Parts: sequence; C-alpha cells; structure tokens
Amino acid sequence: MDVNYRVVKNNMKADLLDEKNENMPIAAFLKMIKERSDRLMNYFLLSFFIIGIALGYFYDTYLIALGVGGACLLAYYSAKILFPESTLYQFIASANLGIFTAQLIYQMHGLFEMHFIAFIGSAILITYQNWKLQLPLAVVIIIHHSIFGYLQFSGVPHVYFSQQEFMDVQTFIIHVFLALTIFFICGLWAYQFKKHSEQHIEMSFEIGRLQIAEQQKEQLLKVNSELDKFVYSVSHDLRAPLRSLMGIVEITADQTEELPVINHLQMMKESIARMDGFILDILDYSRNARSEFKKEEIDFPELLTEVIHHVKYAGSTNDPSEIKIFVEGKNTFISDRSRITIIMNNLISNAIRYQNTALNNQFVKINVVLSKKDATICVSDNGIGIPKELQNKIFDMFYRVNGNSVGSGLGLYIVKEAVEKLKGTIKVNSKPGEGSEFLVNIPNVEII
Amino acid sequence: MEVKEYFYERVMVVDDTQIDRYIAKHIMNKIYYAKEISEFDLALSALDYLKLNAENIEVLPQLIFLDIRMPLMDGFQFMQEFNLLPDTVLVNCKVVMLSTSLDSGDHARAQSEPLIQMFLNKPLNKQSLIEVYQLLCQKELKKV
Repeated sequence: MDVNYRVVKNNMKADLLDEKNENMPIAAFLKMIKERSDRLMNYFLLSFFIIGIALGYFYDTYLIALGVGGACLLAYYSAKILFPESTLYQFIASANLGIFTAQLIYQMHGLFEMHFIAFIGSAILITYQNWKLQLPLAVVIIIHHSIFGYLQFSGVPHVYFSQQEFMDVQTFIIHVFLALTIFFICGLWAYQFKKHSEQHIEMSFEIGRLQIAEQQKEQLLKVNSELDKFVYSVSHDLRAPLRSLMGIVEITADQTEELPVINHLQMMKESIARMDGFILDILDYSRNARSEFKKEEIDFPELLTEVIHHVKYAGSTNDPSEIKIFVEGKNTFISDRSRITIIMNNLISNAIRYQNTALNNQFVKINVVLSKKDATICVSDNGIGIPKELQNKIFDMFYRVNGNSVGSGLGLYIVKEAVEKLKGTIKVNSKPGEGSEFLVNIPNVEII
Repeated sequence: MEVKEYFYERVMVVDDTQIDRYIAKHIMNKIYYAKEISEFDLALSALDYLKLNAENIEVLPQLIFLDIRMPLMDGFQFMQEFNLLPDTVLVNCKVVMLSTSLDSGDHARAQSEPLIQMFLNKPLNKQSLIEVYQLLCQKELKKV
C-alpha cells in the first residue's frame, strides 16, 4: 500500500492535477490573449493619433488632432497604469476608437468614407475576445452621430458630420442600423472565439488528464503484479527450507525410540509449523490488502471441505472429535473466493487450535445460511473461550491472548480486514470455559 | 535374504533441493516404495533421460515426483516438454507434483494439466506416498 502511495506522489505530472490548479490553463490562456491584445492596442491607438496629425494637413486641424488624440491616449494609459488588473482601460480603448472615428470624420470635414473607421475600430476590438467591449464604441458612435448630425443639419457652422447637404431620417436609421449590425457581428465573433478557445483548452486538458490517469493505472498494475511476484517468491523461498527441515525432523522422529528426543523433535515440529503459519499469514495479509475483488460463485460445501483438509494438513496438534458443516439455502452466492477462504481458514483453525482439552466431546460447528441478500456464517466451538474484556482486542494486529498461544497474532486481524474488503461484518460471542462463536455476514454481490 | 514387496519398480525424483531428494529417498526406502530411485536436480536432464529411454519401458520410471520451482526449467515448463514425448512415456510415467507452493494459481494450473495425477505438499511422508499409490491404482482400475 505504501509503495503505491509513493508512486502516485512521485509522479510530477500528477501535481498539475491538484484541485486548486484546475482552471490554470484557461487563466493562462486569458492572460495570453490580454497581453497580446494590449500590445496590438498600443500600435493601433498610436497609429490613429499619428493619422490624426497627418490629416491636419487638409484643413489645418493639427490642434484638434493633438488635443483630442492626446486626451484619448492620456485617458487610456492612465487607466492602464492605475488599474492594470481591471478591464477598465480596455473599455476606455473601445471608447477611444469611437472618439478617434469622430475626430477623423471631423478632420476630413465629414468625408463619408471616414465613417468606415468605426468598422475598423469594431474589428480591432475582436482581439480581446470580449463582446462587451463593442458597447462603448457603439455608444460613442451613436451619441456622436446624433449630436453632430443634428447640429450640422440645424445649420450650426463649423460642425462637420457629412458632406451631404441633408440626411433624411430613413437614411440615418439605415446608417445606424448597419453600424450596429457590424458591432453586433464583431461582438458575436469575440464571444464565439472565446467560447471555442475555452472548450478547446478544456478538452485537451481533459485528454491530458485521462492520459495521466491511464499511465498511473498502468504503473499501479505493474507495481501490484511485481509485488505479487515478490511476495510469492519470498514466501516460497522462506517456506521451502522450513518444509525440508520438517521432513528431516519427521524422518528423525521415526528413527528413534528415546522419549526426550521424540519430545524435542515434537517441539521442533511445532516451532516449524508456527513459523510456517506466520509466513502464510503474511502472504494472506499482503494478498488481502492488494488483490482486486474477484467475483466468483462460492460453493460452500466444497470450499469448507477444502479448508478443513488444509487445516488438518497444517499439522494442528489438536484434532477435534467432530467438525460439522451445515449449509442452508440454495441461493447462488457470489463473492471473492480467496478472501472467503482466508476467513474460513483462520476461523476454523482457531476453533481447532483453542479446544478445551478437558472435554471429550470437542466439536467445531460451521453453519452457513445463504439468502439472496447475503451469507451468514457461524463458526462455533466448545473450546476454551475468550474473556469478555479481551473480546474487542482479538481483532487487533499482532494481538495474542497469551504467551502460550501459537498463532502469529495476525489471523483475526486478517479476517477482519478481509471481511471489510467484502463489505461484511464480523461479531464474536464467547464465554470462557463454554466456547466461542464467530458470526460473519457477507453480502451477496450478485444483488448489489 | 528376505525378498521385499515393492510398491513400484522405478521412481524418479526431480527436485533441485538435495535435502528434499534425500527425504523422498529415505522415506521411500523405509517403506520399500521403489526398488530403484533415480534422482535429477535439473528438469532438463530428467527430460533427456526420458527421451533417451523412451522406447525402453524396462528403464522408464513408473512414477515421477516433480518439484515446481527449480532453476532453468520449472515444473510447468517440464510438463510442456513432457507432453511432447512419445506415447510410451506418457502411458508409463505418471507425474505427481510435489511442492511447497500454496499458490492457488499453481494448484489450478496443476489441475488443468491432465497428465499431473496429484498435487502434494512438502514434506513427503508415508501417508501421502501410500495415498498416491492408492489413487493411481484406482485410476488404473477405472480404465479397465
């Protein structure tokens, strides 16, 4: 488990996926647009200013070009320097484009083509990909047209809006309508560009995220299978010499009649069995902690027969006079076979191990009730029992009831872990001297 | 000299661990399990021996105890090659797996190999040797 965790942590790419960085690429993208557009805007505003001065040549409007143009630039750069984080200066730039339009129309004494400059301004603003920036420009143009148009056609001198003698209301409305259409379309493009870019970024980011997740999954699978091989090899290599030793001890015990020697060899056998059990427990622990839930139909009578055979082979010194199995219910039960085997193995070997040697009717009873919903397994015995105050400790890691107990202190801990992996529950009822009863409930995954 | 009844004429033990071969031999000798016991520490040399004597039924072992985890060629790789040997070998030589492995994958794999008669856990002892004999006799009877 630890190793898996470290792998995930070490993956530098994974850090990019931190929650708080979630919107980072989009923010970076918006910043890039802003910087690029600001740069362009410098050139455009400066160009308008210079063009204004150049056009002063025709009707000697240098003063107006310097005054109006200068005021525009001043307003723009002051806003930009004072509020660099706000978008205020962008709106001022938009208004400026409107004012430049009015200025240039005036400088050319209403030359009709100068009205197109409003469209140029509108197109320039698309760069920010913000439709709202079209509004100041539109407002300035409308106010300018209304006021200057009204003044010129009322006969006020030195007001230049159009070279036409008179513009009727219908022409004026068409003029305004076409201008608004351009502003609307440019605003629409700005909006759509932004939407598209955001979607595109999100999509490529999502693809990246999936790729990283996929890589991590592959890595985990690799680590898991390597660990599996490792645990398998280590447990085998630790056990192989033990089993050889067991063989030699058995041969030796067979060759001697001397009681002390036979006793000592028996002790050796018990020690070997204990160490062997310990290794097997560690193997079970590691498997239970890492292996995936493998759905399989569980045939309880067959599984229990196999477990009992295995427990007997494992060389328990106590042999109960009776092991009874009852399986009720005909429902198909689906769960993880290897974990159920681990659970049954430990519960049954405990029941055999902690027999009450004073009795001669020792028994171990295994009762399984299958239903559509779950399996209720009860392993009961008339063994030595567990004192009340220890009953909540027996499931702790490495807890052993007393120094004489032969287990590793892992068995019931693994049982509890395995039951949790199966999303089940385990309970113990016990009275010292009368026996113990372990109640396990495991859900039938077919239903879930 | 008393003439002993042996369970088998010839038994082969394929295991890289010398102590385990010794245990097997010792127990078999003790209960007169086999008249001749041939030992191989490498699966490959055991295979060579079987190939060489494929037509010589008087020399072929009736029973082979095969370890799983061995260097160079493991028990399952041995079985792959063994399956390709002539019928005389396949019919006469019964294979019993003998291992420390409690890996459920190994058990399942051994069960899926039709030529593996049994799967025994180490160490070998008298009871399991006798069980092997009884099981093989039963199988033989069923065939007839």
